[in-house]
Amino acid sequence: MTAAPGSFAARAHPFTPLVVTLCIAVVAIALPGPAAVLYLYAATLILVVLTGTGRAALRALVPLAPLWFFLVLLHGVLGDGEQTTVLGVALSRNGLTLAATQAARLGAIATASLALYTSFSPARFVDAVAERGWPFSMSYLVVATLLALPRFRARAASILEAQRSRGLRLRGSPLNRARAIGPITFPLLLGALAEVDERGFALETRAASGVTRRTALAPPPDTRMDRLTRWAAVAAAGSAVAWRVLG
Amino acid sequence: MNARLLALLPAAIAINLVVGGLVNALGLPLYLDSIGTILATVLAGPAVGMLAGAIGQLLFGLINGYQWIPFGIIQVVIALLASVAAAQGGFRSMGRTVAWGLLTGLVAGALSSVISYVLFKGVTATGTTAVVTLLRQLGWSLPAAVTASSLALDLADKAVAFAVVGALVRSLPGRMMGRFPRAVRAVGR
Repeated sequence: MTAAPGSFAARAHPFTPLVVTLCIAVVAIALPGPAAVLYLYAATLILVVLTGTGRAALRALVPLAPLWFFLVLLHGVLGDGEQTTVLGVALSRNGLTLAATQAARLGAIATASLALYTSFSPARFVDAVAERGWPFSMSYLVVATLLALPRFRARAASILEAQRSRGLRLRGSPLNRARAIGPITFPLLLGALAEVDERGFALETRAASGVTRRTALAPPPDTRMDRLTRWAAVAAAGSAVAWRVLG
Repeated sequence: MNARLLALLPAAIAINLVVGGLVNALGLPLYLDSIGTILATVLAGPAVGMLAGAIGQLLFGLINGYQWIPFGIIQVVIALLASVAAAQGGFRSMGRTVAWGLLTGLVAGALSSVISYVLFKGVTATGTTAVVTLLRQLGWSLPAAVTASSLALDLADKAVAFAVVGALVRSLPGRMMGRFPRAVRAVGR
């Protein structure tokens, strides 16, 4: 968890950022653009800064930058219809409007998602799910995968290094490079399958597939503020969808 | 859900999320983000494959932005088609495996082009969008460019993904295969 200590994102019940993020995504898709969507992106940026996950706004720029570039290129530069000149370049007016709407929409969703990822605490999530009496397998799948990712990435990097040191060529014609797919993916896949048995036994001994309700060790408090925030987010998403459908 | 399947799912999801990055090192226009889905389906059936694909897409969205979640439906379709292929012994030989991969690529590409055009206005992953931009420059309409690029990339991607899973499952030792009866039928042993 990298949310600022003591911030709302660090203290909030694990379901609160999850619900707020999903509602921002729904609102972003439901709102017609571009002004309303740009306001939503601005509001999302302010929200992530206020809740102590401001770094997510910067991290979101990494996946967003190429998308924004192609939106302007595809719809602004190559778009049809009435033209306008910006910095000496003729651009499609409708295309630019479409690009701005889509860019702000993607910006709001990506920023909210990365803020959620930044504030996500696997241990608190497991406890919150256990406290509700929901199946252990549900929280296990999310948490085990998130914890497995860095391990798999490290293993993938070491496989790549090992195969290169054995003379595997990663350059050359597309056919030569395609031939390298097997040597770099097989060790990772076989290693993952070999782990399955070991982990399966470990889960069995911990009664992971049992139906007995588990007791949370330290359930995160679900405060009135959390509940209010979640209901407000759901109401905003519902209103946006209703406005789009009925309006 | 039994403990072995519970252990298989995170591995399959992590494979979906990591293999793409590994293949990036080769500079090929492939995603290979469905290998875990196909593998889980062949080993444990369509329900496990669909779960792996759907949860993998949710987690990919969490890490890279929830805008990619609509593509989760494609993972579900891939799991369904992989389960049909497995039931028909479609992983018995390389030729059959690639043929099923091409069929899956055709369906996935068609679905992907609709999602890309309707929800993303043609701008999605960098490689696909670069092809769309090139085709637009050549005078193609946006829907035609999106459809052509999605189909071309998905055909190649799913053929390779199926080929990798097929070769892997055929090479599994008998002891491991014995724990996954569906995989035995998929490779026709």
